Amino acid sequence: MSRAPRAAVAVGVVVVVAALPLYLESFWLQTALFSMGAIVAAIGLTLLVGIAGQLSLAHAFFVAVGAYGYAFLAGTEAAGEDGPAGLGLPPLLALVGAVALAGVAGALFSPISGRVRGIYLGLASLGLVFLGQHVLQNATSVTGGYEGVAVEPFGLAGFGFSDSDPDLTIFDVPYGRLERLWYLGAVLVALAVWYGRNLVRSRPGRALATVRDGEIAAAVHGIDVVRYKAAAFTVSSMYAGLGGVLTALAFGRIVPESFGFLLSIDFLVMVVIGGAGSVGGAAAGAVFVTALPLVLNHYSGSLPLLAEPGGGGIGASEASRFVYGAAIVAVLLFARDGLSGLVRRSQSREVKESLI
Amino acid sequence: MSRRWYAITTVVLALAVGACGKGSDDGGDSSGGVKTGPGTTADTITLGYLPDLSGVFAPNGKSMMEGAKLYWDAKNEAGGICGRKVELKTQDTGYDPQKAVAAYQQISGDVVGLGLVLGSSITSALLPSVKQEDMFLNFAGWTSDILPNENVAIAGTTYDIEAINAIDFLMREHGLKAGGTVGHLYFEGDYGENALQGSKYAADKHDLKIVEQKITPADTDMTGAVAAFRRAGVKAILFSAAPPQAASLAGVATSQKLDVPIVANGPGWTPQLLTTPAAGALAKRYYVVSSMAPLNDESEGVQKFLAAYEQAYPKGTPSSNGSLYAYAGAQIADAALTKACENKDLTRKGVLDALHSLTALDTGGTIAGKLDFSDPSQPPSRLVYTARVRKDAPGGLAVIGEPGTSDDAESYQFGGS
Repeated sequence: MSRAPRAAVAVGVVVVVAALPLYLESFWLQTALFSMGAIVAAIGLTLLVGIAGQLSLAHAFFVAVGAYGYAFLAGTEAAGEDGPAGLGLPPLLALVGAVALAGVAGALFSPISGRVRGIYLGLASLGLVFLGQHVLQNATSVTGGYEGVAVEPFGLAGFGFSDSDPDLTIFDVPYGRLERLWYLGAVLVALAVWYGRNLVRSRPGRALATVRDGEIAAAVHGIDVVRYKAAAFTVSSMYAGLGGVLTALAFGRIVPESFGFLLSIDFLVMVVIGGAGSVGGAAAGAVFVTALPLVLNHYSGSLPLLAEPGGGGIGASEASRFVYGAAIVAVLLFARDGLSGLVRRSQSREVKESLI
Repeated sequence: MSRRWYAITTVVLALAVGACGKGSDDGGDSSGGVKTGPGTTADTITLGYLPDLSGVFAPNGKSMMEGAKLYWDAKNEAGGICGRKVELKTQDTGYDPQKAVAAYQQISGDVVGLGLVLGSSITSALLPSVKQEDMFLNFAGWTSDILPNENVAIAGTTYDIEAINAIDFLMREHGLKAGGTVGHLYFEGDYGENALQGSKYAADKHDLKIVEQKITPADTDMTGAVAAFRRAGVKAILFSAAPPQAASLAGVATSQKLDVPIVANGPGWTPQLLTTPAAGALAKRYYVVSSMAPLNDESEGVQKFLAAYEQAYPKGTPSSNGSLYAYAGAQIADAALTKACENKDLTRKGVLDALHSLTALDTGGTIAGKLDFSDPSQPPSRLVYTARVRKDAPGGLAVIGEPGTSDDAESYQFGGS
């Protein structure tokens, strides 16, 4: 493609993304926001698992650090009925702070991740999720315990990403919290994808892949294995933290149940379905895993064969579990390298066919 | 220029031309002199239901939907609420806050209020939006931590009051005396910890010693807890966990010769427990203290429910905190909506105000006592039913005496600490 049309495609994509909140109902915006949070965090995990070759089941923990970190840093200074007190920092500073916090948590864990490999690292990191759950339930002065904590809306230069402050109506569509957050989410996802892709193709990315494929070979090439492994864990945690902030903003109020062991499994599934190591694949996997149950639930009334909620028979939520499970099995059977591998192979087949 | 160019330009233009795809029409309409708003029209009233139909509480969630259907079907047959038919919009939450928030976004524009929300963490996650949209929310839970709250309606009294009354029951009927020791087995989280607040309060009043055993829903073997209770020489056990733990507790206690009464909060019982091997042990020493009526209660409301249930679901098992709860919750919503219609204001705010104007709602006995919703910082009642397990009773529970409450429970102050 030549330069001009390529720029046009980019402009087109931007315009479509910018215009979508005019059309999407709040359910779709909410689903999209949850997906965006998952995309950012899943990219972090695919870098860790696919590129650096470290299996981590602690991703939900780092997502929680980001989410609760933002809620605490940005929260109002007085404790009220909405939950415990925070530091009252400006939202942008709180966002950066929460991501940094998640990074620090990852860096603190990296001595372990540097020493333990494969399935053992997975089990070692699993402990963090349960530790996190215990802390979230019991450190009530920061996390609010099981009642959770309200998340201060994001704001930038006096413009609040909330339902008012200031009131905003575009083409007769009132712009509320979800519509405004859509743009924040889109920008953060774009940044995460851009940075992730560059990282994979850059010198550190290649170094990490070398570490994954053979630590001794990597060391022979002059790569500081321990340092690179620690860096990969830290970057991955920061991605998780940013995804957590976005998820927290999408919720409006966060509770410990959202960051349990199942979320860690979900992230792993996203990465596997998408194809470990592929940034685009992780994004696709994140959308698939996050949105599928919600969308199937949404259409439960109109899909044939599915019972209305509360009626007898197989309901939408059971069906979505079956589809979810079947999709994972299908991907593992027919596309070992995930959705991204599927796309890549179909492209190379096209090229071959055009050569014949 | 490539074809792609044209395609994109076309899409962009189409989007731009068709702008304002969604508008807003939340305006206050009026029909037949009654102000209506989101979820209400001249001939329908729509309520949102957010039960758990696929998560850990799925069996109970399904039972709840049976109770809700039972009530509203009968109501609609009898002409509905001031000539309006009541429709339900049900979405499964799977006991997952993320699913619940998405489900809420999906239905919130079309409902006047939430007829049932299961789970405190889910309720917490929904509250900011519910508050902003002035909806009422029937909370399928009995924790006083949610108080004070303008939007939430609790069906009866709270776990802490139940626990205080449980101790009172033990002192009156089972020879528990000042200076005695009571074991309290409870869940980590809102339900168990709320009940513990109550038992500690009562223990303080009567110079009792509480031996705490905190567990999580994943724990199903109570051997350790029973051993600890035995060592401490408990005279009775309070139980604020779920049926699987109840079966283990009663079974292990019997085999270890820990022969003391067990008094549970409402969620600690399900009729299905009678099909477990622990049924015999439970029938001997298991009691339940709850604001929801045991199903063999003679009151008119409970008998009406039971007759209707057996007709509609001949193969089903009615339960106090499943189908009867949702039935009673529907009674509360019905009363608020009827009152709002009398006030000629079926907007969300109108329904919320109508709810708070109810000071002596009589559910016919499905919920203990007359319900007073005027003070958002108090539960609507402090009365409880006490029941014991009996295999041949409907729902497996036989009521003991009239609903009542102790002096301690009357003077108990809410506010967490």
